[in-house]
Amino acid sequence: MISQLFIVLATSSAILLIAYLTAISARDLIRLLISLELMFGAVFLAILPLFSIAATTAFAIAILTIFTSSSELLVFITAIVLLDRRKKGIDLEKVAVGGETL
Amino acid sequence: MDTTTLVIAVAGVFAILSAIGVLLTRENLYAALYMSITMLLIAAMYAAYNVQQVVVLIAFVFVGAVGMITIAIAATYRYVPSRRINLIWIAPVIVVFAVTSYLYYNFATLSMKAENLDVAFQRLPSEYLVLLIFLFSVMILMMLSAVKLARRVEL
Repeated sequence: MISQLFIVLATSSAILLIAYLTAISARDLIRLLISLELMFGAVFLAILPLFSIAATTAFAIAILTIFTSSSELLVFITAIVLLDRRKKGIDLEKVAVGGETL
Repeated sequence: MDTTTLVIAVAGVFAILSAIGVLLTRENLYAALYMSITMLLIAAMYAAYNVQQVVVLIAFVFVGAVGMITIAIAATYRYVPSRRINLIWIAPVIVVFAVTSYLYYNFATLSMKAENLDVAFQRLPSEYLVLLIFLFSVMILMMLSAVKLARRVEL
């Protein structure tokens, strides 16, 4: 008998691993942004079982995750704009080691 | 298998399939669309447990704001060769997924039922007020930092 907890956690880990693969294979910043948002989706699924134990804490973690994701989007949009202005493109290959020239 | 289990199983399978679509599609625009579908299916799994507050948050913030902005950016910077899947990494990913699934199958056997959601949502602002204030402050600081960074760069 497959439990609901198993389905939720296995789906979460599958999406997280696919997001890792997407991040590894990304060649530009937009694909990297999409992979990070997939990782946040996996985190959201991992929070779901917490609602049956401590619902208030789970709500707090969910809101924290949303704020973190929004901040990540803000940073990534800034990075995309800056990279496009300086390097005339958003390829990751255009970035020097560590991106220190930005 | 009861209805809730069936719903989350079907939503989970389609969420994984659309996440694979993000990995395999060549264009960023379609990857962003697949990502939005994945987030909607995750919201559907929350809806199966009647956690409507988080469903609204995911649908409005993740799909409505973050997803749409990502789709808009992907449509703006639209060029094709945007992925290079490294086949060497697929084997360890499969091994990790097999091990975690085996462990979850053996040890994660409890049934889930979200309870006291209304009370929890009402208690949240009073119990985590400081946290929320800090989060708003961090967001405002990050916005100011982003504006400062963007203005420094020469056109």
